Amino acid sequence: MTTPQRLVIIGYGMTAHRLIEDLRSRDREGCWRITVVGEEPRLAYNRVALTDRLAGATERDLALAGPELLGDPLVESRTATRATGIDRASRTVLTTDGAPLPYDALVLATGAVAFRPPVPGADLPGCLPYRTLADVDAIRSAAVPGEPVVVVGGGLLGLETAEALRRHLGMRPYVVEAAPRLMPAQLDAPAARLLAVRLRHAGLRLHCGVPLRCVEADADGRVCGVRLEDGTRIATRLVVFSAGIRPRDDLAEPAGLARGERGGFLVDGHCRTPAPDIWAVGDCAALRGRCHGTVAPGYRMAEAVAGQLLGAPAEGPGLAADETDTVLKVPGTEVASVGDAHARTPGAVELSYTQGAQGSPETRYAKLVLDSDARVLLGAVLVGHGRAHPLLRSVLGRELPSSPEHLLLGEPRR
Amino acid sequence: MNGYTQRIQPGRPAGDVVIVGGGPVGHRLAERLHHHGHQGTVTLLDAEPGHAYHRVLLTSVLDGGLDPADLELPPVPGARGRRDVRVTGVDRRRQRVGTANGESHRYDTLVLATGAEPRIPAVPGMHTASGRLIDGITGLRSLADCARVRGERVVVLGAGPLGVETAVALRRSGRDVSLVHPGPHPLNRWLDATAGDLLARHLVSLGIRVETGRSAARVEAGELVLDDGGLLTWDTLVCCTGTEPRTELARAAGLRVRTGVLVDGEMRTSDPHVRAVGDCAEHPGWFPGLLASGWDQADLLARTLTGHRSGGRRPRTVLRLRVPGLHLGVLGRPGLHREAGAAEGDVVTFSDPSRGRYATLAVDPAGRLSSAVLVGLPQALATLTQLHDARRPLPDDRLALLLGETAVGRRTSVLPPQDADTVLCRCNNVTALTLTGAWQNGSRSLRALADTTRVTTGCGTCADQIRELCAQLATAEKPVARHEPPVDARASGR
Repeated sequence: MTTPQRLVIIGYGMTAHRLIEDLRSRDREGCWRITVVGEEPRLAYNRVALTDRLAGATERDLALAGPELLGDPLVESRTATRATGIDRASRTVLTTDGAPLPYDALVLATGAVAFRPPVPGADLPGCLPYRTLADVDAIRSAAVPGEPVVVVGGGLLGLETAEALRRHLGMRPYVVEAAPRLMPAQLDAPAARLLAVRLRHAGLRLHCGVPLRCVEADADGRVCGVRLEDGTRIATRLVVFSAGIRPRDDLAEPAGLARGERGGFLVDGHCRTPAPDIWAVGDCAALRGRCHGTVAPGYRMAEAVAGQLLGAPAEGPGLAADETDTVLKVPGTEVASVGDAHARTPGAVELSYTQGAQGSPETRYAKLVLDSDARVLLGAVLVGHGRAHPLLRSVLGRELPSSPEHLLLGEPRR
Repeated sequence: MNGYTQRIQPGRPAGDVVIVGGGPVGHRLAERLHHHGHQGTVTLLDAEPGHAYHRVLLTSVLDGGLDPADLELPPVPGARGRRDVRVTGVDRRRQRVGTANGESHRYDTLVLATGAEPRIPAVPGMHTASGRLIDGITGLRSLADCARVRGERVVVLGAGPLGVETAVALRRSGRDVSLVHPGPHPLNRWLDATAGDLLARHLVSLGIRVETGRSAARVEAGELVLDDGGLLTWDTLVCCTGTEPRTELARAAGLRVRTGVLVDGEMRTSDPHVRAVGDCAEHPGWFPGLLASGWDQADLLARTLTGHRSGGRRPRTVLRLRVPGLHLGVLGRPGLHREAGAAEGDVVTFSDPSRGRYATLAVDPAGRLSSAVLVGLPQALATLTQLHDARRPLPDDRLALLLGETAVGRRTSVLPPQDADTVLCRCNNVTALTLTGAWQNGSRSLRALADTTRVTTGCGTCADQIRELCAQLATAEKPVARHEPPVDARASGR
């Protein structure tokens, strides 16, 4: 048997785990021996399910690797170890562990960090990012039921976090979002308005369109409130930052690897950096220049790289940069966004249906983005159409098989 | 029981009817009374000199499309029409109206159709010390107003329907036109931001200077100063800033008046012998200032006065903006479903910005159209107008309704082809059947059809559809190989 080649993966999050899993299941002949280097002191866990940790889920509940993978002789995981540099000439990775790690192929899966707005007081005790299991544990210790918590960030993650803090820890969340409306990346204005109605109805307080000015401290130097740009003050002892993520690409420059315009390791549609033996996947990768922050694109990238490592040719354009398919995991909202939700495709037309009164949490909304002939579904934004979401997702990129009413509502009304 | 008692409500004959105001609505009422066989005299008094004319088409005079003579309304058979006669007072006790030249007319039923006066905004500098409007400033309500429009540079104040149509007509006549409006977009009381934006862009593409979010601060000789300090030079300043119902007669006679003369669903004022219709009347459920609304009121009143049942119809709210190259229509009152607390039912919106098309439909829980705004979708506008008029529920597939085709597979028309009963000219309620008959009787041009059936003499927007019908009829007449025996042969039994 030939000696397996050495794959080193820097970063041990969900995408790295998927890469390992996928590669191992397809690598029948054992072509690759994998060493994965992870900064956190634990094996890969389900970051998306961290809100369950707020409800008391154990590390075991969140862990991703099963016993098969743990006992696999071709996989070595080095946790609590940080990569400090890449020596491309000698093809080795330097780590805090000491000895350089040689590689035949290198995959960067370093993920991202929670963005902390650069405002005064943002690093006071009582201000916590929301990204890792350790972060969530810190939030749990700091949480007091019935007390307010300010969640900075009204995007997908911020809203899910705020709702989880309310539901599992009994806190009173105030969501602060600088953009004029919630989830601006995925939702249009009408959907965002209806979402706000539903969230308020569920007990969240929302402040949109006003950035954070500063975090205020009391005499002991601990957080006692936040102030917004319009002067509004919210009293709180806990501030959670869920205002976006920044890709961790500090290894790029010293290694001579290009970065995307807004950060991340720049890769093509096949996740390849300019170096022939280095790929990047997941939140740290700028796929065709664009970073993603959700798990689905990361998984697709991992699978694409696994294929290439096993000899599949990297043909054609590869992965598309801007696929979106998001569902807000807040019960009772039924909010989803697929495809070209903002009708950016030239010539696209939009068709929207609103059922119910403006201020009601029962009101449903669906917007379909169609091609210029109004036949092919390019995207959709949905509020309150839980049943239609999977159906529309399956129609994406294809001609509508029936009238929009039929797709959204099933039986004809009357 | 003879045939008459079926038509005249016993105990309440309308008797001799005097109509004050011979504009389009008063004229229409007189004509409809005649049509329904009104027993009793009809006297139509109007203060303007010259012939009765169709005010709505004034903008066609401005753009040179029509001569003033083309606007003339034909005399109503059986009615006594008096022009240049100003009614100065109503004696309700004696049931008489008096005029400036000393006449006195007795009435059983008096109808006020006095219309409305253009409202001139109170902008400093518009009036002389003695209170007259300075030279070059005019409303746009009469033929005389049209004649006052002079020079190359015209500033239009107010971008409601009249202001927009006026600006467009003046631009078509080759003038330099500016349109000033305080609202965020033209027709902001009718249109949401998307539709308003499409309209604004179209006006700009015609070469009109559109100044929205601006109001007039001061008028100086030949110059208008805006609230932001901007300056507009003018030879004529046209005020399309709303109208005031003419209610002096009603007030003086002690009738209940708010902004307009208050009426009930049968156009009755606070005096059962006095009715009011058109722009001078006010009813909470109706939208003033629309021709369709005024004509509907006239139709309803004529039916009521001649003992016919009104069939539960209400005046429609239909606005079709007469701007060439832009099909913009508003049905019902769209603002209602945006107001707080309103609307059960659905809102369906279609937006195609790259082709300038937009539609928003408010549908009630029974599936009928409550209101709609449509831009760039003339076929859908026609269909929806019919469905709105008839209060029929919309078909389930609204996309197909808006685009005139099914969303599935081949482009086939979901809607039945135009049949004989389709009303092509809504203002005058003329069906395709009637037009075909008129054509076959020799009316072979748009002009001829207008003379015989009155199509296109209302709001004028049916012209394209009628032309299409003419083309179809002309093609259908081309000789075709016949396989049937000639009629004579059949008649003689062979």
